[in-house]
Amino acid sequence: MRKHHGDRLIVVLTVLLMFIGLLIIYAIGPQRANLLNSVYGFSYSDTYFFWKQLLSFGLSLGAFWVLSVVPYNLVLKHGSKVLWVGFIACALLAIGGWTHIIAGTNGAVRWIDLGPLGSVQPAEILKFGVLLYLAVFLGIRSREGRVNDLKATLLPVGMLAAFALLFVIVIQKDLGTGISLTAIVATMLVVAGINRKIIFSLFGLLLIAGTILIFTSPHRIERVLTYLEGDNTSTSDAESYHIEHAKIAIGSGGLFGVGIGDSVQASGYLPEAINDSIFAIIGETFGFVGTVALIALFVALLMRLLGVMDHMVDVRLKLLAAGVFGWLGAHVILNIAAMIGIFPLTGITLPLLSYGGTSMIFMAAALGLIFQLSKYTVHASHIKEDINEDSRSRRGVGRTRYASRRGA
Amino acid sequence: MKPELRKGSRSRILAGIVLAIATIFVFRLFYLQVIQHDHYVALAQAEQVKRDRLPASRGEIYALNGSTPVKLVMNETVYTVFIDPFVVNQSKEVDELRQVMKDVAGGNLLSTFEDSVNATDSRYQVIAKRVTRTQAEKIKEKHLKGVRFLAVSQRVYPEGQLAAQALGFVNADGVGNYGLEGYMNDELSGVDGKLETVTDVSDVPLTIGSGNIRIPAKDGKNIVTTIDRNIQSKAEQALADGIKRSNATDASVVVMDPNTGKVMAMANLPTYDPSKYYEVKDGAVFNNATISAPYEPGSDVKTYTMATAIDKGVAKATDTYNNTDYIKVDDRTISNATKGHTGVISFQTALTWSLNTGFVTLAQRLGNGTEITKTARDTMYQYFHDRFKLGQKTGIELANEAAGIIISPDDADGNAVRYSNMSFGQGLDATIIQVASGFSAIINGGNYYKPTIIAGSVNDDGVYMPNEAPQPIETGAVQASTSQQIKEMTHVARSGFAGIDKPGYYIGGKTGTSQVIRNGVYADDETIATYLGYGGSDIDHPEYVIMVSIHGDHKVLGGSVDAMPIFSEISNWLLDYLKIQPKG
Repeated sequence: MRKHHGDRLIVVLTVLLMFIGLLIIYAIGPQRANLLNSVYGFSYSDTYFFWKQLLSFGLSLGAFWVLSVVPYNLVLKHGSKVLWVGFIACALLAIGGWTHIIAGTNGAVRWIDLGPLGSVQPAEILKFGVLLYLAVFLGIRSREGRVNDLKATLLPVGMLAAFALLFVIVIQKDLGTGISLTAIVATMLVVAGINRKIIFSLFGLLLIAGTILIFTSPHRIERVLTYLEGDNTSTSDAESYHIEHAKIAIGSGGLFGVGIGDSVQASGYLPEAINDSIFAIIGETFGFVGTVALIALFVALLMRLLGVMDHMVDVRLKLLAAGVFGWLGAHVILNIAAMIGIFPLTGITLPLLSYGGTSMIFMAAALGLIFQLSKYTVHASHIKEDINEDSRSRRGVGRTRYASRRGA
Repeated sequence: MKPELRKGSRSRILAGIVLAIATIFVFRLFYLQVIQHDHYVALAQAEQVKRDRLPASRGEIYALNGSTPVKLVMNETVYTVFIDPFVVNQSKEVDELRQVMKDVAGGNLLSTFEDSVNATDSRYQVIAKRVTRTQAEKIKEKHLKGVRFLAVSQRVYPEGQLAAQALGFVNADGVGNYGLEGYMNDELSGVDGKLETVTDVSDVPLTIGSGNIRIPAKDGKNIVTTIDRNIQSKAEQALADGIKRSNATDASVVVMDPNTGKVMAMANLPTYDPSKYYEVKDGAVFNNATISAPYEPGSDVKTYTMATAIDKGVAKATDTYNNTDYIKVDDRTISNATKGHTGVISFQTALTWSLNTGFVTLAQRLGNGTEITKTARDTMYQYFHDRFKLGQKTGIELANEAAGIIISPDDADGNAVRYSNMSFGQGLDATIIQVASGFSAIINGGNYYKPTIIAGSVNDDGVYMPNEAPQPIETGAVQASTSQQIKEMTHVARSGFAGIDKPGYYIGGKTGTSQVIRNGVYADDETIATYLGYGGSDIDHPEYVIMVSIHGDHKVLGGSVDAMPIFSEISNWLLDYLKIQPKG
């Protein structure tokens, strides 16, 4: 298929969202530094978090660009290697944690410290690996018409997912990343065309697994109980402290917000103000207008991803777009839902905005890849007749898309 | 390829899910941010706005040095040092902290220091108290993480223990206890200011927001007492001398100006160090006995009976009665402590030798001449209670004043026997300040001044603002002529002791030896020795009234032997100190 202009809106939305995150961190970074310095005895400078985030911003732009120019075939070809790297990194992390070579936070080891280069979160590599690998695997099965085949498709995918989730949820105790991994796999399966019966049984299976996960951790039980209390929680209760402060931040923002740099909740009242709770800070800073606009930006970006997905002929690429959609969608929905008190807290970041390099870089990379794919879309009306496709079906004029399928 | 996939129908489902959830989000956000906005603003305010107290500085207390105020109680800022053990251990500066605290804080370091450092679960541990500013600066210089200081104001006493019981002390909560500190606590405390600021979670004020409120503190009043530091110091030393001389356990003295009611000195021994009030084991030492320990005043009150009889015109100093050393009242027989002055003697002799029979006779003469009738009792009550104000609080500006008691003749117990006892000072309870104040009225011409310890205040500019001259709260307590006669009689009584006063002055006084009531009966082996007197250049100008009491456990102390020398020591010194010119 002949390459044409990509969907520039994907670039615009991605950069815009990352820029908003950078702006917020610029505004509340000094308060964050001040809090950590005074309460925990660190010595961060006022601009520490801003510079770190600016670096992440730059690296993310780089990752976006790289994945938008490195031919997707090449990327897909090495998908399984990325998956391996992810697994190995996770395994090393687990070993490092057990042997206490790597120090953990909050009772779990999630990061590998690379000294001055910062730290890297192996789970993000794993996520990316799963995305690439499943795109290829399910693409082949789909073309073979064996998507619903238990042995050929469902079991291997299930095994892969279970293995990845074992590392992420059980060993790293990172439910948030686990949920986004699950969302990636589930979205890909749905788009790959597994039948409804299997979807429902998978859904049931997830529900049971979720329930078990909740009840095996007192911490999660508390979060669910807090959630069930709804808006009746109070700040004096340690368990509901986080969600209550998120709601206070959002609610006190009003229609137009308190303005940039005037967030009080960020001065230490709201936990994780620059990470998981950044949406609440946006709510306080920019008000209802700001939060709705932000949701609109995310929805627009998600719709663009679906647009690319719809206009892909190659199933692998379609699944790739589906996976990224699931990834971004799950993060956005679960993060915001938790912040506004309609879903329990899962410790999941708001993609592209939250402070923290690794997740942002990989998200940007994934979006970069989709941007590349958007250069190879065809008009929807032609997909239905793909068997008898001719040159009229192409949005651009160029080589046939059969050429692009080589190696799949 | 399956048709379903080609059609992309599932993408529509996914889009639908996203849009549906986004719609829910928008509704929820509208609810939180628009409908519930005020509610959340209120919640935010509740925790973000800190209402801080701007502590008012407590008023200082001055004594007089002649007529110039000098500081008796001052404020000093000291620091309570506390640590955040979590941060201290995190910063790995534990050894440095230990070294610095031992070098600098030394004795102020709490014994629980090591436990505090090791309490890593805690975020707040006090490690040292009452650290001075200099010490605190030295610790601050080290910039140790997790070490904080809390400024605390504490009282300092440049004159040490001087007038401790009159002053009282200020406890750790900044509340005055006992004495002037207790009585004038509200005035001394001032009014704390208010500060309302938006703060971060560690209560550090933020520059965000415009609703900050600041009402400055109104500092407490600086009070100047009537206590003269030199007289007070002399009085305390004289008490100490007296206790040593008589091998007594406790003694009290009040020195006051009979013409104004101003207390120039007020002391009790044993006393305590108000800067270390927390080290006091026996709380009784906080009590100011001169105002809060009623006792049977004994023979000093004979001057009151004499004054009453003279004022009523039923007797004068030279009038006589037949002394048999015994006198019968109803079914009781009252005897003299000093016997042998029998026969027809004057009331001056009765006063000089402190003969009880003379004063019972006076009480009878206030009645029908042979009985202490209701009329006699009413008269005595009127003078003792209403005019000389025994058995009621004087209203001196000191905490914990006791009223004492005088039984009214209308009371069943207010019978002739009781009033015969009262005529020589038994059967009533009064405090030293009451007896001295009533006596002041008797010798100053009949004006009762409320005893006071407050001379004025020092304003914010450090200028002494004396109160207006006190006015008597009662005039004509006795007639001027009565006053003259009592001064004469007490002067004559005192003149019986040769060579105790500087020549050329007019000094008068009355001894008292009160029995101590133990378990409801008079104890044989224990007395309170007192002396009540005045002094001045001549009979018309009494300048001071001094009342002394001294007591020892299981000790019989006499007014003339044990209390009078204390009076004389203070009196003779005062004549010089007050630069009183001799006339006689």
